[in-house]
Amino acid sequence: MTFTSKNNSNNSGCTGTGVKIIGFGNKYRSDDGIGIRVVEELERLDSFKNIEIIDGGTSGTNLIFLLKDCRKVIIIDAVDTGQNIGDVVNIKVNDIEEFIKRGYKSLSLHDLNLVDIFSLLKVLKINADISIIGVRPKNIDFGDRLSPEIEEKIPEIISIIKKETGI
Amino acid sequence: MIINIKDKKIEELIFRIPEPPRFFEAMLVGRKYDEPSHIASRICGICSVAHTCASIKATEKAMGIEPSLQTINLRKLVYHHENVRSNVLHVYFLAIPDFFGVGSIIPLVETHPEVVNIALRTKKIANDMVRIIGGRAVHPIRIVVGGFTKLPTEEEMVEMRKMLEASYPNFEKTLEVLKALEIPDFERETEYISISDPIDYALYDGNIKSTDGWEIDDQNYMDKINEKIVRYSTAKHCWATRDAFMVGALARFNNNYERLTDNAKKYANELGLKAPCYNPFMNNIAQFVEIIHSVDDSIKLINEILEEGLDEDKAMAEIKPKGGRGVGVVEAPRGLLIHDYTYNDLGRVEKANLIIPTGMNYANIEKDMYALVQAIIDKSEVEIRLACEMLIRAYDPCISCSTHLLKCKLINK
Repeated sequence: MTFTSKNNSNNSGCTGTGVKIIGFGNKYRSDDGIGIRVVEELERLDSFKNIEIIDGGTSGTNLIFLLKDCRKVIIIDAVDTGQNIGDVVNIKVNDIEEFIKRGYKSLSLHDLNLVDIFSLLKVLKINADISIIGVRPKNIDFGDRLSPEIEEKIPEIISIIKKETGI
Repeated sequence: MIINIKDKKIEELIFRIPEPPRFFEAMLVGRKYDEPSHIASRICGICSVAHTCASIKATEKAMGIEPSLQTINLRKLVYHHENVRSNVLHVYFLAIPDFFGVGSIIPLVETHPEVVNIALRTKKIANDMVRIIGGRAVHPIRIVVGGFTKLPTEEEMVEMRKMLEASYPNFEKTLEVLKALEIPDFERETEYISISDPIDYALYDGNIKSTDGWEIDDQNYMDKINEKIVRYSTAKHCWATRDAFMVGALARFNNNYERLTDNAKKYANELGLKAPCYNPFMNNIAQFVEIIHSVDDSIKLINEILEEGLDEDKAMAEIKPKGGRGVGVVEAPRGLLIHDYTYNDLGRVEKANLIIPTGMNYANIEKDMYALVQAIIDKSEVEIRLACEMLIRAYDPCISCSTHLLKCKLINK
């Protein structure tokens, strides 16, 4: 088991690309770790070497501080918008209110949830192009593995991220 | 929370924590000595430094590893700022909106923008401190068994000191806001337990001390702290001298008031917080006083570290994995946190026991709730529900972050 991260020295601002990818979740709560597993995978890919990739863990309020000078932010998270288990959704921050009406839930965060964070960003007039790529988990009990049907979604999520970032 | 009231008397009161048991203990079994702290740091995003340090201390104790004074000072420094950011989150994001009668910090952006800006600025400084020292703002990776994988630079230490020194005006403004809050007048004396140290206002290390007059070495926590299973919840109840006790900022304040900086004492005095204090709602005020103390003490620690000079040779202690048992006790923001590990001769975990502060406060919350509801039983259902919710939030419980999803059910009112 390794615990290194190429981005461990600084995550206070954006790199030259102006793009930041943040995974939220707890990798020891089974499918809740999907966001972290995806960013771990991205860190191994050469095509993402110029993009700042962050393991955001389970603290949502930090997002407020991560948006500084960013052109685009992509969040990967375990979310329930009423979609089927394993279905991947790509939500733009401007559409978040519609998803809240549909019962949007971020399942990962242990301080303020993502809905509150986005409301706060809105009233604070912090503008950034934010996309949330979410997967509805099957199991968020304690465990260090993803369910097979969630794990197999990783290539699809990476493909969406590539499209979003133009890679 | 279920409160069953009949003829203005409480027939039954149950505080049910819906969170499943924390299976991290099982997950640690079989792991090599350098893995548990990283796994434990994932238990909670808010308390990740606390779990990391409790885990490391347990392992170091078990294997007789002695970190350098430089390592201990850097751990104390990073530790302060997990406490600061957690206390900021609770005081500004959760408690102040409660007292203003609004659901969250969001309406305060319009009505009290200065409070919101102070909250964000203070949290950002604390985040930056954890990131610079720990290598990551959440789930730090440089804090390891034996020391640090990478030290901050002297320039970074100077920069951190500047950030801290610039934060004092924020606290003066917060003081005015907090002075205007109407803290419920409710008292119930209980046992208050925290760690304690002859010199420090203990957060990172110390004996376990009770306001009931006992003090024990942290390795012997089982001599006093007991756990039992209750039929209606997956969380265990804890007790020591009495049938319940309180941990957290108020417990620390009651045990260690004398170790606060003079500046923090001044703020406590201005806010009417005196030790011993038996009002659980004052836990919020104790948290704010701790923010002041942590900033004061951090500047002192930075000065000491800079005076001594950062030394790479002292970054890591010698590690020889071996079998044995060790207990790591720290003060997480929410109170006493205990990691108890037994290692085999190969340096792998054979047994792990974790006792978390919310679990320790659980029985005490129920007892406070009983006394509070009985005292306000003539009030409306809405008022009783609000008072109960505020009381639970005053404890700053980590219940899968469900503090704003609290459901209080009143029956037969």
